[in-house]
Amino acid sequence: MTCTAVRDRLTEHALGGLSARDATTVDRHLMWCAACRKEAGELERASATLAFAVAPNDPPEALEGRVVEAVRHAVADPSRRHTPNPRRSRLTLVAALAAMLAVLGTGWGAVMANRAARSDQAAQREAIRTQSALERWRTMVRSLEFGDPANEVLLGTLNPGNIAGGGGSALTLVSPTIADMAIVLVEGVPDELREHLPLTVRLRGPEGALMVGRIDSDGLDDSGAGTVTREFGDLSGYDTVIVRDVGGRVVLHGSMQTRATVTSPSP
Amino acid sequence: MEGLLAGDDDAVRALYARYGRPIYSLGYRLLGTRESAEELTQDVFLTAWRKAARFDPTRGRLSTWLMTIAHNLAVDRLRRETGVSRPTLVLVDEVPDAPGLDEEAVLIERDAALRALSSLTEAERRLVGRAYFRGMTAREIAETDGIPLGTVKTRLRSAMIKVRKANEGKELL
Repeated sequence: MTCTAVRDRLTEHALGGLSARDATTVDRHLMWCAACRKEAGELERASATLAFAVAPNDPPEALEGRVVEAVRHAVADPSRRHTPNPRRSRLTLVAALAAMLAVLGTGWGAVMANRAARSDQAAQREAIRTQSALERWRTMVRSLEFGDPANEVLLGTLNPGNIAGGGGSALTLVSPTIADMAIVLVEGVPDELREHLPLTVRLRGPEGALMVGRIDSDGLDDSGAGTVTREFGDLSGYDTVIVRDVGGRVVLHGSMQTRATVTSPSP
Repeated sequence: MEGLLAGDDDAVRALYARYGRPIYSLGYRLLGTRESAEELTQDVFLTAWRKAARFDPTRGRLSTWLMTIAHNLAVDRLRRETGVSRPTLVLVDEVPDAPGLDEEAVLIERDAALRALSSLTEAERRLVGRAYFRGMTAREIAETDGIPLGTVKTRLRSAMIKVRKANEGKELL
């Protein structure tokens, strides 16, 4: 989405009037565009100002105790914590490294190599994209190693849905300090599915589905492997991956969970 | 915020003392019942706890952050509850006579809000009220009033810029 298109939506964004899909798209743009972020911040301040215009109403006295108790209960409940404990952080670091090695060493690397071989111009573009992807991985791993221990990595294996064949793996990073990220790698997509592209990759979570990306014929290599990656504002709770063909059939699906091992994509 | 992140009781109580009432009031105004407003208030503090590490004071004030969370949650709930009539819009009632110490800071915010609203024309107040306090989208407003969507967007933007400028240079909390 361009700056013009985003600014056309910023007022409604501040007023809470955008659809979840549009709001996510705008949020993604705001993560990297400082100029739009500045305007969004000013409109959000204006919007928050309105909140104080309502007539004051006294909440019941018991509400304070219930709020404190609710937060205390959430803190004590590991399943509701946004910040994993140190042991869990170490496990997620191992998992992230394992996934990184698997993806860079086989699946993703092969995808990039095949695609880059198509032409010099394409090779240059792919080299830039590969470098960018590598840098993002490095940033993520640096963050996991030395950054906020609240980072959380979820990994999952994709299994065939209504169409026989194929598989894949997925990784999401939920972080309070850097942009959340999702990476989904599909592999072994059957040839017959090439007539039903693009594949649409979505994450399902508490507020519906988020688009991770589409894989068209240019995005699949000869072995039927392809990758989509995207940054998000908040991926908390988005733990299911659904890949559909152009007809809406579920091609692959999988659940994400925090764990120390990940299925390595085949070469 | 570190206290909130750790779930420290005193930190939560301090935050509640300052913002519990305006959050509850906003919830009551948008959702229309005390029960919904109480649930919303709890949800806001839980969400704030969950996202506390993401709050960046260099990018915005705490009050903006919390009220944005409150408004977003309330509007989401309004839209989910199909078939439930939206509450009647009342923007301004009388300010309580004797505020406590914790309420003074919030009253400064309220003064700023009233000043901002007074900078709008009656038509702009009504438009902003329908969008912010009733959760209506620009498209819904355009369809209801039978005017072009672009016109609604332009008018909303113009009104919000007025609200923003009404308190320009006045650093609040």
